[in-house]
Amino acid sequence: MKDIIKITMPLVLIFVAAGVIMAVTYKYTYPVRFQAEKQEKEEALKEMAPAATDPIKPAGTWTVNNKPYEYYQATAGGHPVAYIASTAGKGYSSFIQMLVSLTPDMKISEVKVLDMNETPGLGDQVLEKSFLDQFKGKGLSQIVLIKGETKENIQAISGATYSSRGVTNGVKDAVQTLVEKYGAGVRAAVAQGVTK
Amino acid sequence: MSNELSLGKLFKNGIFGENPVFRLALSLCPAVAVTSGVKNGFLMGVAVLFVMTMTNVTVSLLRNFINPKIRIPAYVFITATWVTVIDQVMSAYQRAVYKEMGLYIMLIVAFAIILSRAEMFASKNKLLPSFVDGVGMGVGFLLALVMLGIFREFLGKGSLWNVHILPAKPLLIMIMPTGGFFAMGLMMGWLNWIDRKFFGGTGGGGGGHH
Repeated sequence: MKDIIKITMPLVLIFVAAGVIMAVTYKYTYPVRFQAEKQEKEEALKEMAPAATDPIKPAGTWTVNNKPYEYYQATAGGHPVAYIASTAGKGYSSFIQMLVSLTPDMKISEVKVLDMNETPGLGDQVLEKSFLDQFKGKGLSQIVLIKGETKENIQAISGATYSSRGVTNGVKDAVQTLVEKYGAGVRAAVAQGVTK
Repeated sequence: MSNELSLGKLFKNGIFGENPVFRLALSLCPAVAVTSGVKNGFLMGVAVLFVMTMTNVTVSLLRNFINPKIRIPAYVFITATWVTVIDQVMSAYQRAVYKEMGLYIMLIVAFAIILSRAEMFASKNKLLPSFVDGVGMGVGFLLALVMLGIFREFLGKGSLWNVHILPAKPLLIMIMPTGGFFAMGLMMGWLNWIDRKFFGGTGGGGGGHH
């Protein structure tokens, strides 16, 4: 009995000390981290819509992969200059978190990957500019993944087809949602010759 | 370990004599997983170097306090504590680095090489030698990962540190896990051959038991 206590006590003490060290670290680093993450999110949104002058606030939420994601209407002096949606697509080993922004005429202007956990060396090639730039200027009907040379659609990266598909699906869902939310209004406004 | 080992020798031991990957053949799983690129290998190596040194120092300081019967949970917990602290501090103050390395840091808790050095060395030696052993082993691990990374990224992707050098991908399989094992085996063989041929060593690396 005495032995058990003699052996266990040091272990308990180590556990308690480690717990205290981790808790103290968390206490002091969490606020800094939270602020940094918030600021990063704001900066990412700003990058998605450089023309926007008003603060970009969430306009609502939509659902993909059973999780809620926000979408935004970026405005300059009250006029919409870009529509942005945060989205995710299921890649090979993770959900690839992204931001997608559309011009007022519903063409993609930017795709940005915020977070992913794909295979280093293979799946993480979806981060490369040459892949993401393919989305620029494309409309909803063109967002189709093709294995092979294509200019009209999206060309999958060889060796990273699942990850390419994850990005493409995530972008497509986001564009579809934004077109549903804002597309009709834009079309009506164009038809009446007024800018919204 | 005997006392006549000088600190310089101890440091070199981690890099050459008992290189964690090529000689001790420990932590091969992460070594295969992250070395599809030089950059990944390097970042993982740096993270391991930190945790290894910290864990060795802590274990050495507490070596007379930890009863041998409960040493494994104690060592693992010490490693986990340092990993968590590094993860949190880095995520708050070094955002740019954290974005690159964050993926790997948490994995280090389960690395065989860390536990093995705590068990084999730090628990039996004073603070300074343990510190040097941690740094040496960490640098050895780092170098091994970078070497594997150079080999695999160049052949698999035709690039180095994400900079394209060759227009094509000469041997795509090299960046797949299969290629990782090929690269590891080839490199281990080469190093043993060099050791035997030029340095008169026994060239008997790759045991894992120690």
